[in-house]
Amino acid sequence: MTSVYLVDDHELFLTGVRTELQQHFDVVGVSGDVDDAIAGIRRADPDVVLIDVHMPGGGGVSVIDNVIETHPEMVFLALSVSDAPEDVIAMIRAGARGYVTKSISPTELVDAVKRVGAGDAVFSPRLAGFVLDAFAGAVPKPTDPELDQLTPREREVLRQIARGFTYKQVASRLSISIKTVETHVSAVLRKLQLSSRHELARWASDRRIV
Amino acid sequence: METVPETSPPPQPARSWARLRRELVRSETDRVVSGLAGGIAARIGIPSVYVRAGFIVATLAGGAGIAAYLFGWALTLDDEAGVDHVEAPPATTRQRIAIGALYLGFLGVLQSAGIWFGNDVVWPVGAIVFGAAVIWDRTDDERRQRLTQFARSPEEGPGRARVIGGIALFAIGLGFLFSSVETFDLGPVLIAAAMAAAGFMLLFGPWVMRMANDLAEERRTRIRSEEKAEMAAHLHDSVLQTLALIQRSDDPKRMVTLARSQERELREWLYGEGTRQLGKVRGAIEAMADRVEKDHNIPIEVVVVGDAALDPDTDALVKAAGEAMTNAARHSGADKVSVYVEVNDTSVEAFVGDQGKGFDPEAIDPERRGIVESLRGRMERHGGTVEITSLPGEGTDVQLRVNRRLL
Repeated sequence: MTSVYLVDDHELFLTGVRTELQQHFDVVGVSGDVDDAIAGIRRADPDVVLIDVHMPGGGGVSVIDNVIETHPEMVFLALSVSDAPEDVIAMIRAGARGYVTKSISPTELVDAVKRVGAGDAVFSPRLAGFVLDAFAGAVPKPTDPELDQLTPREREVLRQIARGFTYKQVASRLSISIKTVETHVSAVLRKLQLSSRHELARWASDRRIV
Repeated sequence: METVPETSPPPQPARSWARLRRELVRSETDRVVSGLAGGIAARIGIPSVYVRAGFIVATLAGGAGIAAYLFGWALTLDDEAGVDHVEAPPATTRQRIAIGALYLGFLGVLQSAGIWFGNDVVWPVGAIVFGAAVIWDRTDDERRQRLTQFARSPEEGPGRARVIGGIALFAIGLGFLFSSVETFDLGPVLIAAAMAAAGFMLLFGPWVMRMANDLAEERRTRIRSEEKAEMAAHLHDSVLQTLALIQRSDDPKRMVTLARSQERELREWLYGEGTRQLGKVRGAIEAMADRVEKDHNIPIEVVVVGDAALDPDTDALVKAAGEAMTNAARHSGADKVSVYVEVNDTSVEAFVGDQGKGFDPEAIDPERRGIVESLRGRMERHGGTVEITSLPGEGTDVQLRVNRRLL
């Protein structure tokens, strides 16, 4: 069974999510603040960390930064009330494998955790929209064209996700396999993390404003 | 109007020394330097400010005020609990005149004894000091408190030393200034002026700075409280109203919609995305989705990529998208509606989709047909296209498209 670690400073929410996830996963630990989370995650070594963006003491980004130093393969799924682009992009660039908002339904959340646990990326429609927006238009001076642009196929997959279709529906609509959809999304995630497009850099650097 | 211990009250043989010491104590509450002036004022029943003015003016008489003060201070005790001191009722006019005459007499004695800075000094400065005392006496408490803040400096001890030093420097400097002006001797005049100025700075410098600080602080506080009031007003009109509505509602779907629309509104207000640009496609689509969501209690997920100005063509697309949203909300039975709008260089496309029960486009009922025709008509008048894909049980997809007007 996939082991999950929860990090959220909102106790009520933490309790709720824990109850929902316990039926499907092995919840190996919970933390309410940054320092506790870093130590706890290192100790428990879970398969997936479900992490809040805004927390006292540095926020989700600093937890990811610290844990990845010692556990580079740790899988993070960001969970937040905010879907401001700067928050989303900051978490993804720090190393999160996906981003969902707290209004997500319990079934969708379970599905998202399973998906990142299996090594895939999780894109909400909103996140797909951000990515399309960020990668829209011409790149002034593409330092690395492969990372700074989306392929037409990736763009098509993202558009379908932005329209609210599940990976399975996207696969059947584009007549490709689910595995191919996942490959495209993972490629986009990598570009999101490594691309030097200035829109992404700006979002990441502006993140403390909110 | 004033007296110093040597001249008044008139000694009465019956009063023992100890008795006098009980009657005249240095005031605990009314104190600038040691409370002596306050004590004297309480004993003879006049406002303490006149006593202080008396000491200052007497200082001009060859420094006699300072000597008298030190003398008085040595003779008296602090007003401590257990000391049963006497307080006189406010002096009558007649008594006041008598006190004033005594004081003038005292000055006269000093003048004839030669302990004097000169007539040109004592009388004008004396007039100024007592004039100021009268003004002070007539000023209301609140204003006085602001004026005296300079004396109540945070470091009580050094503050007091500063006040005493300041008064002394200022008075002596002023005295020398007036007496040396007569001889037109430049050196002493400059020194005296510098002394007076230094005394003045010592006395009022911190006060002037504090006034400036207070003003700035006051402004900051006012801005803060205005912001707080604005925020409170906003929360009251929005969040609190919604919370009240949610408490009264027993329809879960309605609660969810209320919470969602409130969340969106609050977020926009907090992060300033708020000033939703109504002249733009993005803003118009979001406003449209909000309205349908509220009217039909169904979540509408909106994702917009890119943006463009609202012209008659794009406006038609937004309205058609709104119609499609309403249809989906009303007929599909789905638990949410997804809207995706993409603006590129040449066109604007909108997708309105649901995963509800769908319908067979070939065999639609007349009401549905009407809706489809209305959509199609609206789009075609603006050179746009409509494509509707639906299968029973598979949901419905409405795809709208217009070309962007070239500028």
